[in-house]
Amino acid sequence: MSFTPYDWNQSIQTRMEYVEERLRDGSPVVGVSIDEGILTVSIHRAQRKVYEVYDRLVFGGVGNQSDIETIRNAAIDFAHREGFQRSPDDVTAHRLVGSVLSPALKKAFGDPFTAPFVFRGLFAELAERREQDQFYALGYDGEFKNDSRYSVVAGSLEAENRMIDLLHANIDRAQDRSSAVRLALEAWATGRIHARRPSYGSKVTEEEEEIEIRTVDQTLREEIAEATVEVGLLDRNTPRESKFRLLRADELQPILAEYR
Amino acid sequence: MFSNQSGDFLGLLDGLPGPDGRVTDAPVSHGDHATELDTHGTTVLAVKYRDGVLNVGDRRATANMAVMFDRAEKVLPLDDYTLIAISGSFARAVEIVRYLKHAFRYYARRELQEMSLDGKVSEVSRAISNNLPMALQGIGAFIPIVSAYDPKTNEGRIFFYDGMGARFETSEFGAAGSGSERIRGAFDYIIRTKKPFREMTLEEALQECLILLDIAADLDAATGGFAKVLPVAKAISRDGIIDIPTEQMRRIVAAIHPREDAGLARPVI
Repeated sequence: MSFTPYDWNQSIQTRMEYVEERLRDGSPVVGVSIDEGILTVSIHRAQRKVYEVYDRLVFGGVGNQSDIETIRNAAIDFAHREGFQRSPDDVTAHRLVGSVLSPALKKAFGDPFTAPFVFRGLFAELAERREQDQFYALGYDGEFKNDSRYSVVAGSLEAENRMIDLLHANIDRAQDRSSAVRLALEAWATGRIHARRPSYGSKVTEEEEEIEIRTVDQTLREEIAEATVEVGLLDRNTPRESKFRLLRADELQPILAEYR
Repeated sequence: MFSNQSGDFLGLLDGLPGPDGRVTDAPVSHGDHATELDTHGTTVLAVKYRDGVLNVGDRRATANMAVMFDRAEKVLPLDDYTLIAISGSFARAVEIVRYLKHAFRYYARRELQEMSLDGKVSEVSRAISNNLPMALQGIGAFIPIVSAYDPKTNEGRIFFYDGMGARFETSEFGAAGSGSERIRGAFDYIIRTKKPFREMTLEEALQECLILLDIAADLDAATGGFAKVLPVAKAISRDGIIDIPTEQMRRIVAAIHPREDAGLARPVI
């Protein structure tokens, strides 16, 4: 059997559809930067979604759990090796995503003889000042984009765009921890709703068109009642050794009260 | 595509060039010059107090007869509930502290759970015994005291080590460095005539420790006194690490040496 450029093109297309289909159900992750630090917000039913990578680096992902684990561990390995051998100051999201993870993901995606990563990941880096915080959204094909105030990963690109639109229009509301978490949750719900709509590569039937688009508020109420809201805080001003922590249930309670 | 290991940081560094917790090639011959290369930290002490553990250290670092540095930080946090007080070779100690910090955090981040206290103090043993070939050559030996707040038993704990990495747990106090031998009996004297350290408040324990450090500085040439720079003091309690405020230190030191604030020489005893 011969392997022509056409076959390669075809295999990339097939792999993309395979990955996109599996990502669609993933619970989005939203990162928002405020004066207090960086908030990384998601809602989970099973595994945790938000992880500490290094002193000032946090990671949240959508996709296959074992792929997320592989990327998470590779990120932690790189950060600690580099942070010890050089300095913690040399461990940046830019280096981690740009020179370590992205080329490896691209290679795996383009290789027709291995399973592609089912993965979209959000990396956030805490700086001294809010304006300097960095976000990187990394895709399964190695493509990544860099933002400063907020960023998202979700089940589909369409969903991500809707979430970014919402954050862009409302980011001035994110003044403190409570308002930022609520805005992030609204973005989360927007992403959730749109990722589940039939879109990419498939024909939309009339029946599907009629599927009721639930409101953000309704979605949030249902999800918060059934699943767990997870908020990671990279604290800019803490005197503690660890800057990262997950907000406790008693801290989230007043923020989520309006959805209960 | 990616390596896959357990939470073992030493394993992660395996095969890489550069500094780490291990010493592969110990210097084979040194003559009399080796000790001049090696900067030493001197006196550090740890005592339990009512809510946890208090660590105090002087600020002097010496190389042979020279004072290299008078603002050395010898009490360092390893994580939010563990402190290490270092004496002996500064170069090795600082390197190994960096190693331990990364090892503990690496494990916690990879495995998504804290390393156990027993695991942490064993890791310190391993680092000391890996350093042994160098220490046997006459340079690079260091002895730490590890203090931690144990969340299981809700109390402070103190561990000290010998040069080979043997670990001992102490019930009241630990001290290391050149000045520590001079004051060792004084700890027992305080416990017998006043009260056990673990029944003292932070203020009381701090006061006793600063007097002990002052005596060590009087009796040991390598231990720095209070005349130029305040000693370093940190405590660990249920709420994590407490940096003792400069104001509090200044007040106690002033009470020990009433005229020091005026910049005058100390009264002759």
